[in-house]
Amino acid sequence: MPEFSRFDQRVLGAGEREAALRAFETTPSHRGRPGSYWKIDLDALDFTGLDTDPGTGDVTISPVSGRGVIAVDLVTAARDHRDLFARAFGVALGAMPDKFAFLTRAFAQVGAFVYIPDGVSVDDPIAITYRTTSARFFPYTLVLAGAGARATVVERLTSDVPDTMIGSIAEIVTESGASVHFASVQDLRDDARVFATRVAAPGRDAHVSWATAELGAALCVTSNDVRFDHAGADAHIATLFFPTGSQHVDVVTNIQHNVGNSTSQTVAKTAAGDLGQGRFLGNIRIAAGAQHSNASLRDDALLLSKHAHIDSIPALEIAANDVRAFHGATVGAIDDEQLFYMTSRGITRDDAERMIALGFFEPAIEHFPTEALREQIRTVLAAKVA
Amino acid sequence: MSEPGLRIERLHVRVEQKQILNGIDLTVEPGRVHALMGPNGSGKSTLAFALTGHPNYEIVSGTATLDGEDLLALAPDKRARAGLFLSFQYPSAIPGVKVANFLHAARQAVRPDSLPPAKFRQLLIEKMDVLGMDPSFMGRYLNDGFSGGEKKRLEMLQLAMLAPKYAILDETDSGLDVDALRDVGTSVNALRASDEGRNTGFLIITHYPRILQYIRPDVVHVMIDGRIALTGDAELANRIEREGYDTIREEIIARA
Repeated sequence: MPEFSRFDQRVLGAGEREAALRAFETTPSHRGRPGSYWKIDLDALDFTGLDTDPGTGDVTISPVSGRGVIAVDLVTAARDHRDLFARAFGVALGAMPDKFAFLTRAFAQVGAFVYIPDGVSVDDPIAITYRTTSARFFPYTLVLAGAGARATVVERLTSDVPDTMIGSIAEIVTESGASVHFASVQDLRDDARVFATRVAAPGRDAHVSWATAELGAALCVTSNDVRFDHAGADAHIATLFFPTGSQHVDVVTNIQHNVGNSTSQTVAKTAAGDLGQGRFLGNIRIAAGAQHSNASLRDDALLLSKHAHIDSIPALEIAANDVRAFHGATVGAIDDEQLFYMTSRGITRDDAERMIALGFFEPAIEHFPTEALREQIRTVLAAKVA
Repeated sequence: MSEPGLRIERLHVRVEQKQILNGIDLTVEPGRVHALMGPNGSGKSTLAFALTGHPNYEIVSGTATLDGEDLLALAPDKRARAGLFLSFQYPSAIPGVKVANFLHAARQAVRPDSLPPAKFRQLLIEKMDVLGMDPSFMGRYLNDGFSGGEKKRLEMLQLAMLAPKYAILDETDSGLDVDALRDVGTSVNALRASDEGRNTGFLIITHYPRILQYIRPDVVHVMIDGRIALTGDAELANRIEREGYDTIREEIIARA
């Protein structure tokens, strides 16, 4: 067992950290290999070395102005803003069914805490950048938006050193009538492994919009969850990934409508090139009694090489009888008629394929909050498609 | 030195193992307008797709040259860069690709570096105005959620922006109301009156003579069963309007 007594006890006590690590070790990933082409078995990954070197990394938080707004690192938040910290930490995660969330929780220390007081709006996006500087890193983002508060938070995950393993949690707590736009861009080196859990728990009439782009890493395993426990809330989830080279990306969204009169819209735009492998699992669960829930899921997968695979699996589990649920999915290569149309205008086949592939992501890209961020994502995607 | 023109000789074309064109001879000269009429299923669109290089259309025999260049040896993008344009009857929707970006890429491909970006935009707005298109079109995704009329207007906008040497209009008039049809006519005639489009040769494929009231043809061909059955002047289109295709078909059978 690592020396958890040396970790920050105000963020989380040693006993709870030990319990989290045990839970990580005993909880199955529930992510079996989708097929023989999938080269990485998540339940056979080597996590040795955590005992001696849990690793670390840097966090940079952009300066924020606004009455009572707090944007500080996690340890400072746990020390100086004890009550606010306790109001959010672990609240959205709840029972944490996700194996990898336990791992990050056990080592949570470096991170960012953003608090927007009741009724305060912050116009400029709050930027949180994580940079991995050692073999392992477990960044934790915690956002608490008070009643009627509004904010945009952009999280970026980068790495400078080779062969890193990253566990990350983003926890978004929006109290009644609050609105949070959260974007996460993962652009790690292509030899990194990352396990990310992002959870939102919208309060009554709250709005959560989030957009995630998984661009880097050799292996990226992500769970994006929204849990509706309060009526009148809505959530827009946009996710994109694009494994190329020999990247593996495994994204699950869990949208849990526990109460009625809640609305969710999920858009997934996934593509794979070269030997890239991807899996998107879109879970929507509408509990019995969650009447007048409204859930839609649109997932499209684009295959850009013969050896690329994407499993795109929608799963709707509906126990209430007066709900609206929509689901649409496509999987395929670039359409020949689209290619012919574009080439008939003088555009080369390569350029046409590039334009179609990049255009394919646009309905997800448009959910990212700033044009600068959208352009950065387009630039990375363009380099991958070339 | 070969004579200029879009020259089609003894062209036989097969689609999914079925022979559709049975020896087409047709030459569109620079600056001239040819109408290609005929009943549904006669092979008019097949000719359009075969000339532009659609992969499903197999050339069995014959030749097609553009100002002496062997079209059939070229990939579709090279045919376009050689100066050929097809206005699609059913253009593809391409979500995520904006009209302005697409038009710019196409213009750059066909006429490299001919326009600086500001001039390009100005030209685009001018041509859109002629077609009664709102500038907001530029930011929309290509044909995505477009009505039938909007798609046809966009095809005509591309024609105007690319000013090809030879343009094939495949049933551009179908599904258009009178106002839209007049806009199409105005746009084509504006191109023909411009420096860029003065020498553009047209092959206008149509089922009905309606569009020919707006764009006056120099020559009218009637295609029946994959052959050019009859060639005449603009009066032939009027005759088709009066008598229909059946009389012409009977006449040809009687002659044979």
